[in-house]
Formats: sequence, structure tokens, C-alpha cells
Amino acid sequence: MKHFALVLLSVVLMLLESHAGADAKTRVVATIPDLADMARNIGGDLLEIKSLATGVEDIHAVPMKPSFVTLLNRADIVLLVGLEAEHAFLPGLLEAARNPKILPSAPAYIDCSVYVVPLEVPTRIDRALGDVHPMGNPHINLDPVAGKDMARAIADGLIRNYPEHEATFKKNLAAYLATLDVAIARWQREATPLRGVKFVSYHPDMLYFAQRFGMEPAGTIEIRPGVDPTPGHIVALEERMRREGIKLVVRERHYPAGLAETIAQRTGAKLVELPVMVGGVPEARDYMSFIDYNMRTMLKVVQGG
Amino acid sequence: MRSIAQVLIVGAVCLFSTPAFAQGTSGQTDTPDPSAQQLRRDLEILKEQLRQMQEKIRQQEEAIEKLSAPVAPPVAAPVPAPPAAGDREQLKQEVREEVMRDLQPKLAAATKPFPSQFNPAIGLILDTAFSYRDHDQANFDFRAAELGLSASIDPFARGYAIISGSPDGLEVEEAAIVTTSLPYNLTVKGGRFFADFGRLSKFHDHDLPFVNRPVVLDRFVGGESRADGAEVSYLLPIEQYVTLTAGMYNKIGAENDRIDDTVPRGLGQFTYLGRAATFINVSDEHSIDVGVSYAYTPQVVIEQKAERHLAGIDITYRYVPLSEAGYRGLVWGTEVLWNSEKRPVGGFPTEPTVPPPTDFERRNAWGLYSYLEARLTRRFYPGFLFDYAQALDPGVSDTKAYSPYLTFWPSEFQRLRLQYTYLDSPGAHENQFFLQWTAILGSHAHGFHDR
Repeated sequence: MKHFALVLLSVVLMLLESHAGADAKTRVVATIPDLADMARNIGGDLLEIKSLATGVEDIHAVPMKPSFVTLLNRADIVLLVGLEAEHAFLPGLLEAARNPKILPSAPAYIDCSVYVVPLEVPTRIDRALGDVHPMGNPHINLDPVAGKDMARAIADGLIRNYPEHEATFKKNLAAYLATLDVAIARWQREATPLRGVKFVSYHPDMLYFAQRFGMEPAGTIEIRPGVDPTPGHIVALEERMRREGIKLVVRERHYPAGLAETIAQRTGAKLVELPVMVGGVPEARDYMSFIDYNMRTMLKVVQGG
Repeated sequence: MRSIAQVLIVGAVCLFSTPAFAQGTSGQTDTPDPSAQQLRRDLEILKEQLRQMQEKIRQQEEAIEKLSAPVAPPVAAPVPAPPAAGDREQLKQEVREEVMRDLQPKLAAATKPFPSQFNPAIGLILDTAFSYRDHDQANFDFRAAELGLSASIDPFARGYAIISGSPDGLEVEEAAIVTTSLPYNLTVKGGRFFADFGRLSKFHDHDLPFVNRPVVLDRFVGGESRADGAEVSYLLPIEQYVTLTAGMYNKIGAENDRIDDTVPRGLGQFTYLGRAATFINVSDEHSIDVGVSYAYTPQVVIEQKAERHLAGIDITYRYVPLSEAGYRGLVWGTEVLWNSEKRPVGGFPTEPTVPPPTDFERRNAWGLYSYLEARLTRRFYPGFLFDYAQALDPGVSDTKAYSPYLTFWPSEFQRLRLQYTYLDSPGAHENQFFLQWTAILGSHAHGFHDR
């Protein structure tokens, strides 16, 4: 019995020690890989960054795994998109994580939407409108200019928590924003064929991308955000597509393929399948390549490639 | 310019003052007319305003004259150098402050506090069903309307309450305080809440994946694991998810009638609980939750002060394809429970006039439920539940039930469920049909423990 107790104690001490040993870097947990990539660019080696989502998920339906609880329990910083994008999983996980450092009232809870002017802010809050986000459409990460604002929010949040590294964070942010600016200018030039192109998407994920590059969202396959369509809605949508000459259907890759394909076939529209986060496809390795992938894929389909 | 303005102002004053004067003279009596007095006051105010405007015009004219006076020819002004970085920052700051000053009244109006601002989040859940049973015939069952309230209490705790109205009356199902900032990964919960025993005994009726609570939970736990007491939970500070819970309660089980919640008791008559739970992440898509629970009551008074043991193991396997989590998946959930207590031979009498039993014997019983539920689309979840439970009382045969069901979600906030149950229990071999309709109004939260 005595030996058993000693062995048990040793194991517990080893586990605790391994936990303590990982304390050298600031542990950052990002809800999505986009934020993790931005934080990596801004924090460099000072941060140890993990993402909850891998990038293939629907941001509104990331499964709440207990392994996320332990990650958040040990986190020094949590990065979230904000605008209630993570409503389905982050509040529940934070409640279970027992880490007062990263609760919404704490400085280490970094909401990356603070500098973004949200679109589609509802004028009426009513469930009859579907699963509306009271603060506006939260899919801001698809717009690289909003991406700059998100990076700025990350840098500000890191400085707030670690003012001793302010110079490093600012320098890295400036370099990252400069790189993004060059890419944004290029994407703006490349996007000329997209201007005025009307499209239908499964969910209003593409709103910020469309606004940035001059495309025109013309409806969703969902009858309301978060509510699957009824047959009547599909019929009306297809009629509208034919009437208004809408020739593009966007399927965000985490939505079922069948219905989007059928609608595209029946209306003679082209179908484009896009990720909504870094990691959504193998080519979207980081934030730049993610936007780049969406731009190239959209152009290819619109230009008939 | 000046003379035109003066003429206009004087004209305006004449226009206003004429009727006022006319009224004033015609109304002159020994007792002053109140409306005339008011008009006189208005006139005084008007005169004062006129004086101020004239002064303002004079000042503006002076300023214009100064500006239009001939000035010395400008010396070839050097092209201003671009502002230095510091100046640029200052300029940006000034512009920012100026914009903020303009916006501030609107922001202040938008964020204006109102008396109910700190009220808790409120949600209401409506749960109703149509049932048909071979023996009991059909009925519309109003199951419950549950009002949920929740809010932070202060930086150290949050609170919540679930108040349920049902045909049995109005009842506080839960009303608890939960700490949020204790050190060492500890959480303490106190009040009335669902004790951390097993998995589905912590679910409210409307949250269950099927219409009715499994027989083994109804029989062994006493329905929901409702308990008045206190609970401490600890999350081990390691990478592997492990939680340990210890609790002390008057009793566990909303319908557990062995113990009266309102009668004070000795320490030996409380129920004590221990639970350990962990999670095995087989891969990104496959995972298993495992928990073991044990509740011990040293003395159950109505059972000759004998001890009662209730133990359980719960296993939940989940297949959740990450990119299709919204509309594909599979859950297999199983709980096995074991109960040991002294029970009267033939059971407790149901009639209060019958004298209390004296012939008791220790009875060990076990039971389980197991269900499999598939997520075929975002709307359709078919499933199958199997129930098995031995009777708590000696000499009574077992109960089995088989329940295929189909859940249809028009949206995340509304659910229809059709269930058939074949019940094979002592004295009842029957078919049962249920059509359940459940809706969520207002605030809703995705709790970690409701997964």
C-alpha cells in the first residue's frame, strides 16, 4: 500500500512538473487558425500558439471537446474572432476551463473584432430572423482589410498583457501589415473580373469578402442564418437566380455538397467551393495563402477556368 | 451687411412686439392679466436675445474687417516639409480625438444605462407531448415550461436558476451559486442543482435525446439527479482531461422519496458523492467520454437506518466529422448502474393507512440503458434506446423497453420527436407512442456539460 502511494505521488509530481516545465512561453489559444497565424506573425518566438478549430469546421459548430478545456485551462491568452462567432463553443468551454485569467472580463480575453466595422447589424433582434448575430455578421476573417484590423487587435491585446514586449509586437505588426498591404493591393487588382458578380452562398460567410472585392451577395441557400432551407425557399431562390441572371453558387466547404450542386445545375450556375478559415484546404496554410486561395479559386470559376 | 441685419432684427421685434403691445393695452385692468405678463416677459427675453445677436454681429464684422485688410505681400513661403513621424502621430491623435468628440454624444446615447441592464439572461423552454399507451389511452401531456435565469454574481461567482411549471405545480428545479475564480482549478457549487452523478441524470427532461428518462435512471437515481447540497470539483492540471468531484447532499434524485429534503438530519443521513471523469481523444473525429460515479448514504432512516450504495459507469462514444459537424455524426451512450440497499419484502406500501413494513432484506440490483443516435442531416436524428432495469424490491421481475425514435429539428430552437416504445415491465406489456414538441425562447447557452 505504502509503495503504491509513493508511486502514485511520483506520477502526480511528474505530471505537475511537466505542466510547470512548459511555462517558458506565453501560451496562446486561438479559436481559429487565422488568429493563430496572425499571432505567430506578431508574437514570434515569444508565444506558444494553439488553435481549437483546425480550419475545416463551421465556426458556428466547432465540437466542444474536453481536450479544449485543458488547453484553455493552461492558456495565458485567448484569441477569438468576436461578434459572437464562437457562441456555440467558446462560452461553454471557458466556463469549464476554470481559468479566470481568460474570462470575458479579463485583459487576456482578446476580441479580435474590436476595430472592425461590422456588416449586417440587425435592426431587429428576433429569432424569426434565424440565428441572427446581434452584433452583426461575424465572418470578418474573409476580408483581408478586416484581417489587418484583427492583427492590430491581437497586437494591442498582447501589448496590454505584456507591455515589456511592446516594441517587438509593434515591429512585427508593422512588418505583417506591410506584407498584407502589398497582397491586398494585388488582390484588389486581380479582383477586377469579380466586380458586380452576383452570387448565392449557403450561409452569409462571404459577405465581407464580397464587399471588399465588389461582388454582390444575392441570397443564401439557408432560409435564414443557421436554418436549413425549405423546398419552397429553394424554388423561390432558383426562380430569382434565373430572373436576375445569378450565375454563381458558393458552397462553403463545411456545408453539404448535394443541395448546392443541385441548385447550380438547375439554374445553369457555376459552383465554387471555398474554405472559410485557414486550414480549410491544404493550400490555405496561413492567412495570406487562405485569402489567396479564395481569390484564385473564385477568379478561376468566374472566368470560366 | 450690418445695417441689413439691424433692419431685419428691428422689423422682427416690431412684428412680435406689436400684437404683444396691443394685447397689453387692451387688457389693462386693475388686476394684471397673466397672459399679458407672460408676453411682457417674452418681450424682455426677445430684447435680450436681440442685444446678444447685435453684439455677435459686431464681433464677426470686426473679424471680417481684420481678415480683409491689405497685408504685406507674402514672402515666398517655403513648401511645407512633410510632417515628421512624431507630428504625424500627433495629428492622427488630434483627428482621432476630434472624431471621437463628434461621435461621443451618439455613443453615450447608444450605451445609455437603463435600470434592467444587470438583469439576468432569461430563457424559457416549452415541452409538450401527445402520448398514447395501450393501458392508459391517449393524452396531451403538458410536460413543463422551464424558466431559466443566469448571470454573473460578482467577479467570483455566477448564479443560475431553473424554475419549472408543470402539472405538478411550480418548482425550483435548480438554483445554484457556482464559483468562477477559485485557485487550483477548483469549482464549488452550492444550493439546489443536479448532482454530478453519471451523464443523463444531469440533463433536464427536455434536454434528453429521447422522450422519456431511461427506466434505470428513474428507478435508481429518482429521475433528475436534483440535490440540495454542495459540490467541489477539481480539474487536474495536466494535459489529459480528468475531473474529480466530491459532493454532500440531503439526497440525490428529484423523485427519491426515501429521504425528506426539509427534515434536518445527522451527518450519517446525508448522501456523499464521488465522481471521476475523463476523455479519450481517439482522433480528431472519434472520442470517448468515460465517467465513474459513486453515491453513498450511511443511513437511510426508513430502511432501518441501513446504508445505501449507488454506483454507475457512463461511456459516451462520439463520431463527429469536423467538416460536417453540423449535419453528420453518431453518438453511442451507455450507463450501467448498480444499487444496494435494504428494501421491504414486497416493497413499501402505497396506501398510507397500511402499517410500515418490518420485514427488510438487502437487495442488490442493476440496470442499464444504451442508445445509438445518428445525425443524418441538420434536421433529422434517428435513434434507438434500449432500457433494462432490475426492480429495487426483492421478488419483482425486471423491466425492459425498446424505443426507436426520430427527432426533427426545424431549427436550433425547435424540435419535434416521434417515439415508439415497447415496454415490458411487471404488470405492463404495452405499446407506447409519443409525439413531443419542444421549443426554446429567448436566451440560450451551449453548456459544456450538455454535450
